Amino acid sequence: MLPLLDRRLVIVTGKGGTGKTTVAAALAIVAAAAGRRVLVAEVGLDEHLPAIVAPGARPVGYDGRDLAKGLRAMRIDPYEALAEYLGLQIGLRGVVRRVFENRAFRQLMDASPGWRELITLGKVWHLEQMQDEQGRNRFDLIIVDAPATGHGLTFLDVPRVVGSAVRAGPLRRHAGWVEQMIRDPDRTLLLPVALAEELPARETAELVQRLREDVGVPVDRVVVNAVAPAPFPPGAGDLDERLARLPAHLRIPGAPPVAVLAACAAHWRGRHELNARWTQVIAESTELPIVTLPRLAHGARGRDALSVLGHALVREGAVAP
Amino acid sequence: MKTPLDPKAVIRDRRIVVCVGTGGVGKTTLAACFALEGARLGRRTAVLTIDPARRLADALGVAELGNEPTDLPRERLTALGVPPEGRLAALMLDMKRTFDALVARFADSEEARQRILGNRIYQHVSDALAGSAEYSAMEKVFELSEREDFDLIVVDTPPSQHALDFLEAPRRLLEFLDSRLVQILLHPAFAAGRLGFRIFQRGTERVLRVIERISGVSFLEDISEFLLAFEGMSEGFRERARQVQDRLVGPDAAFVLAASPAPQATSHALGMLDRLAAARVPLAGVVVNRVHLWPGVGPTPERVPEQEQDEAAVAALAAALAADAGADFPANDAARAALACADGYAGWVRDDAESTAQLEARVARSGGFVRRVPELAGDVHDLEGLVHVGDWVFGGPASGADAGRSEGA
Repeated sequence: MLPLLDRRLVIVTGKGGTGKTTVAAALAIVAAAAGRRVLVAEVGLDEHLPAIVAPGARPVGYDGRDLAKGLRAMRIDPYEALAEYLGLQIGLRGVVRRVFENRAFRQLMDASPGWRELITLGKVWHLEQMQDEQGRNRFDLIIVDAPATGHGLTFLDVPRVVGSAVRAGPLRRHAGWVEQMIRDPDRTLLLPVALAEELPARETAELVQRLREDVGVPVDRVVVNAVAPAPFPPGAGDLDERLARLPAHLRIPGAPPVAVLAACAAHWRGRHELNARWTQVIAESTELPIVTLPRLAHGARGRDALSVLGHALVREGAVAP
Repeated sequence: MKTPLDPKAVIRDRRIVVCVGTGGVGKTTLAACFALEGARLGRRTAVLTIDPARRLADALGVAELGNEPTDLPRERLTALGVPPEGRLAALMLDMKRTFDALVARFADSEEARQRILGNRIYQHVSDALAGSAEYSAMEKVFELSEREDFDLIVVDTPPSQHALDFLEAPRRLLEFLDSRLVQILLHPAFAAGRLGFRIFQRGTERVLRVIERISGVSFLEDISEFLLAFEGMSEGFRERARQVQDRLVGPDAAFVLAASPAPQATSHALGMLDRLAAARVPLAGVVVNRVHLWPGVGPTPERVPEQEQDEAAVAALAAALAADAGADFPANDAARAALACADGYAGWVRDDAESTAQLEARVARSGGFVRRVPELAGDVHDLEGLVHVGDWVFGGPASGADAGRSEGA
């Protein structure tokens, strides 16, 4: 497996609620700390990433903003990207903007399939091609926080569909460039994020299967997020039951009643066992290596917590620059 | 403050209960849970699910995609405490079939029907783009609510970026059909005489032509053909959409918001409250799923063990554990682990209370109910699990006021 930090493009995907954006932010932070020039792009109507990195942070918008040294964030709005594209192609930017403000036009566009995905990926391609004054890549690593899974696949499959539906013209050529990029295992990696629970586990298996069968975007590992770590030391596997058997009148200095300790311990064990079971299912159904991220006691917000997750994410074989 | 609604009363008195919320917050489970409670109250209930987890689907008997309600066997219902007059039928939405049936109903001729079903734009539209998933879910709810054999319809809404797309789908469809752009595309001659329209049309057409030139797709032709085909049936369709919407925001319907304490989920939920309010949809209440509740009485501790008590607590607990165990039992490590579990758990309880406080307070202020369902150790995948969740939802009130207190272990 090529280390995560050595990719050009990492597309993070997963079902809603799996912590996909958190994983994208964690990877961005650890990559920037390792000296990479990182761009992290959210796709969708809302921005969540800036507030995860720095609680209370303002939205970054289409133009983007540096959240830290070497860490730029933006949100790819398909209409902005389309206006930019049409502007680049034919220089109609003023007319384009006016027309885009029209509500019925937007409804018409909203009803039209495919272009959002394509233009978004086109923008990613454009960013990947960008160079600085010295002729080096403007960004070493681009992280895309893709739409939740169902959409995530449609999203990646659009260039192929366009390529087969459109016979000639600039669009076909451009779709070809995009498709080449997202299928290139030396540049691109799709990073699925799952929770070790039934629904996300099942969705992840379906995602990986479809990636292999239809879409052909490289995937080499699955991130299983928020896994409850083993709660008890070796040899004390039945600790919650032992606690529950202690006499109810027993008082532990500075601690809640033993029944409460027993309930907390039982909860941990239950979560841990559930997570372990579904992690196993994900590993078996996808036949991919699993990277597990711990569930953090105080949530995964702010630079420090994200750093912890980021290091866990790149631990295997990551090379420093 | 008004007297808060009671979830049990909502289930008993309303005809339609709509569960809204973003993905991953247990909306489907909540819909199933409300439906089961309805049946237990003796109502003839149908639950419309969108994408249930496989085992829950199996439990509800909708493992096969079924666009018609399928009843749960009577003996299962009896075992779950459903009285003889109660009924529980489940169905899973088949969007394409529902939408196609709608076209078949309103197309004025067989030829028009074929033209629409075969149109490329329609095929995309009916493939879950542009709110048709939302629209067909609403259509199905309406169809069920027209039937005499159900008293209560509980509906799970499709996952979408803004869950209220569900409610807005008919309005958006009507607005679109009524819009000037569409009228111009349909009747260019009519609009040509008016200056404002002409300028608008020129700009729009120019951009569309450019998109066509770049894309090589005959966008305008497809759209015009679709709209022309649609025009013949738009009157019936329009009337239907109006009826559907009236029923869903009417006094017989109730919206229940599903939420979870994940910070992103609560900010979504707050946004949804705004949108419900803007659409003048009264919210019956919120159910916050997967909340960590402190399993003891009194406030959640800041730290376990308390400051300066670490060694004494470990020693006392280790001694008690050792007394009950063999010599090779790692009593000290076990005692530390037990205290660490409680400390971590207390941290989650505080985090959850903090992230849900604003949401719960807002719902409570508007007179809605607030219920919390604790994070359970396992998935909810069978009907007994739903009854268990129901105990928390329908059991007793837990308003924002007692955020620090908690239920017994």
